[in-house]
This record gives sequence, C-alpha cells and structure tokens, in this order.
Amino acid sequence: MKVTQAAESIGGTIVVAAAEAASREVLGGYASDLLSDVMANSREGDLWVTMQKHVNIVAVAELNGIAGIVMVNGRKPEEAAVAQAEENRIPIICTDLQAFDVAGILYGMGIRGRRPV
Amino acid sequence: MFVMDTHTHTCLSPCADLDMHPAGLVAAAICAGLDAVAVCDHNSAENVAAAQRAGLAAGVAVIPGMEITSEEEVHILALLPDAEAALSLQSRIYRELPGRNDERAFGMQVVANEHAEVLGFNERLLAGATTMTVDGVVAAIHKVDGLAIAAHIDRERFGILGQLGIIPAGLPLDALEVSPRTSLSAARTAFTPRLEYPILCGSDAHEPKDVGRAATFMFLEEPTLSEMRQALKGCAGRVILGGGRPMEDLALHILDIAQNSLEAGATLVEIDLSEDVAADRLVIEVRDNGPGMEPEALARATDPFFTTRITRRVGLGLPFLAQAARAAEGKLEIDSQRGKGTRVRATFRHSHIDRAPVGDIETTLLVLLAGNPEVEIRFRHAVGERAFELDARGIDPGAPDGLSALRQTIRQGEATLSGTVGETKLH
Repeated sequence: MKVTQAAESIGGTIVVAAAEAASREVLGGYASDLLSDVMANSREGDLWVTMQKHVNIVAVAELNGIAGIVMVNGRKPEEAAVAQAEENRIPIICTDLQAFDVAGILYGMGIRGRRPV
Repeated sequence: MFVMDTHTHTCLSPCADLDMHPAGLVAAAICAGLDAVAVCDHNSAENVAAAQRAGLAAGVAVIPGMEITSEEEVHILALLPDAEAALSLQSRIYRELPGRNDERAFGMQVVANEHAEVLGFNERLLAGATTMTVDGVVAAIHKVDGLAIAAHIDRERFGILGQLGIIPAGLPLDALEVSPRTSLSAARTAFTPRLEYPILCGSDAHEPKDVGRAATFMFLEEPTLSEMRQALKGCAGRVILGGGRPMEDLALHILDIAQNSLEAGATLVEIDLSEDVAADRLVIEVRDNGPGMEPEALARATDPFFTTRITRRVGLGLPFLAQAARAAEGKLEIDSQRGKGTRVRATFRHSHIDRAPVGDIETTLLVLLAGNPEVEIRFRHAVGERAFELDARGIDPGAPDGLSALRQTIRQGEATLSGTVGETKLH
C-alpha cells in the first residue's frame, strides 16, 4: 500500500511531500510519542502514528527510513518541522482522528506492527 | 567551593512529600551537607519566597526556580535570578497551563510559609503540560534572565532525549542535568562527547531523604545565579568542578577533612590514600600543622551536632566518616595536639561490600589546590606497589590555563594507577 492510500483511509490531509507519499510503500506501522523509543524500535518503511509535532520528528523519521508521519488529534506540525520535512521529503499526514482509531483502521487494511530488527 | 543541589521540589509539587515544606527542604539540605539548593516545583514558583526566607535564616542559599513541562512533555528547569523573575515567569506559565488539579489522582499542592504553616492550595494542574513548545519554554526563561536546563536527561520519561530523541539543533540550553542514577563523568562521556553543554547533577528530590542525593560542586564567589552563569561558561575563574553525592564518596570525605584543617589555619596539609588489596585494606590519612584540638573538642569530634565551623550548623565530616569506616569493618582515629597539628586516619576493609567508592579524587584536589594557593597541599595515592605523588609546584591554579593544567596532571597521575584495582579510577 502506498502512503497516499493510507492517508485516504484515515481521512487525512497530506501537508508535506505529496509526491513522495504517492510513491512510497508502507511496509508496517509504529505508534509512539517517545521519540527515543521510535528511534530504537521503528523500522524502515513504517508509517509512524504520533502526537508529537516538534521538528525532531523529521530527524527521527529520516534516521529510521520512516515512510510517513501521521499526526493525530487534529494537531499541526510546527513550522520548523514543515520546513525540515519539505527538505528531507518526508510525508506528513494530519488527521482529526485519535491514534487508537488510526491504528485500528490501518490494521484493518492489513498494515501490521513489526518486531524491531 | 559551593555544593548545590540544582533540582529539588517542595510540597507544592503534587508528587512531593508534605515534609518538603520550605523549612523542611532547607533542613534536609543542611543535613545533606549542601550550601545551596534550587527550588524547582512543577510549573509554579509559589513556595520560592518562603524557601528563600527559610534558607536565609538557616544559612543555606536558595536559588529560585521552576520545572516547566513543555508541550512535548519535556521537563526544563528554570533557575532564576530572584523571586521577582520567578513570579514573572510563573504568570507567563499560568497563562499556558490548562486544567485543574485532582488531589486524589495527583496529590495535594500545598502553598506553605517558612514556618511550616499551610497558606493554601494551588488548584492548577501543575502535573500537566503547558501549551508552550520546548523552544518557547527556553525563550521564556531567557526573557527573565534565567538559566534553561534540560532536566534529568538520563530519564526516558520527561527527559529531553527520551521525549525528543535528540537535543534539537540550535536549542539554546544553558546546561543539561542528570539524575542521581548517573555520575557526572559517565554523563559527560555519554551525552556530551564534544562538550557541547555543561552538565549539572541534581537530585530531583520529592522527599527529604533524597535531597542532596546528587549535587554539583562549583567554584563560585557566592552562590548566586550570575556566578553560576559564569561557571557554566567557565569564565572569570568560576567552574563546575564535579558532581555526585556529597558525603558518599571517600574523595568527598577527604575534601571535608582537609577543609577542616584549612579552616583551622593549617599551612601544610598532607593527604595519603593507600589501597593495599593483598592486605585487603584501604587507609585514608590527612595530616596538618594546624593549631590542633583541645581534648574536649577532640572527644566530641565525632558527635554529629558538634562543629567549630560557622558556615554550617552541623559538623558533617568526621561523624559521617567514622560511620563509613565502621560500615566497612574499619575505624576512625584522630590524634591531635594543641599547637602541633591533627592527624585523621580512617581504615576500611578494601573488599567490603559497604566500603564507599573512592570517587572523584580529581575534583577534591582541584578544589583544595585552587581554593588555597597559599597552603602547601601534598597528595599521595598508593595502589599496591604503585604510587602517584602529586607535584603541583610550578602550576598556578589562578593562571588562565592553570586549572586545566592541574586537572591534566592529576588525571595522568591517577591513570598510572588504573588497572591495578578495578574501581579506583574516577567514576
């Protein structure tokens, strides 16, 4: 599944890097707001579901090869995060849904959490 | 030198013990051998003024502060120049702090005076997060001329590294803080390999027994924020010397005994630290040429409530050292002759599980040498067959690079002993 399709399924808006989102394959999912935890346990190709909107989310996504960031609860990324995501071509999807519902919908579409490597 | 716990709470913090009323905190600080504490309640400074008054009465410096929770749930300590700045920052924080406290869920938030009397209860959700980003919090602290310090970075929850993975590039923090679980030297290696930020040690105490479990040792003229600011930058002779737990490591006991000698007017202090693993013995001996003690004073030297000092209410060094020695099947001996000098000798069983670690000898020596250039201080550390004798002649600690030259000399000397006993290295 592409990031764009995942975004549509949760009624999300792709606010950054729409072109990247269309081409990137989602290989799994990860949900956490502790960025240290995401660095340690997420995997390449994961769609990452989070509340955090600080610019560091882009650095963490870049580091682990995250397919895209889903920002839940109607939150919007900080300006610096948008700029950094544009530069690094990391898709950010904003949705009004909560993390629980987002994970549930994506799970229903076949996306799974994966054990860290 | 000043020993400061840069992170303590009062009963205003919902998670703190009621015994941590402003005067209780100050009393605990005295018992822990601290010269200063920073009062950093969660998102509020309403007990700061009372703590300052309690501190003034007891001779402990109280630095106003606050532990602010950012929107990302990162804890940032604000250390502030005065109570006025604390109130100004507090009004800014209150505008960005939603929610009401639920005492059953989080605990009471007691506003108290310096006489342990309850003045009222804070009804805001002090345990909650503000709506300010971490950048906004740091900017707000700087706006009132405070120091912004990332709290307990060695803890996952609410620590900046746990919450944000890495320290955001360009975030103008003045320092990082580690909790008692991490020693200063370990923290320097782990978190600031390129010395990007100075590191402080704070206890994050929520109850009296934890006050001073970690503290920062600083060379300052007086324990004020402007002096601390200089120490963080390492300018004008002010420096962060080290950190750890006062009165736990043997190195700090040595410092304390030597300071007694210096305060008594000695012009020569000889320190011997001898580790004999074969005989399973560790001996600390400190000799001075000071005025000596009267028999009556000598008899009371290990009484915790006796001291000739005027800077602290409680004489900490010798009673605590006696206790530390006894815990490791050793003993403390004091010989003192009026007009001749004093010799303090503490023995320990080297392998005893309760034998305190040697600790940060480097800091102890730097404090003694740099603080007393007119006194002759000799240091010898023997480990089995090998020994390091410090020769600090020719190094002026007051010179621009004097302190780092001294540090280098001590470090190299101590390094020649490493490998002989596993634990004698700087921790």
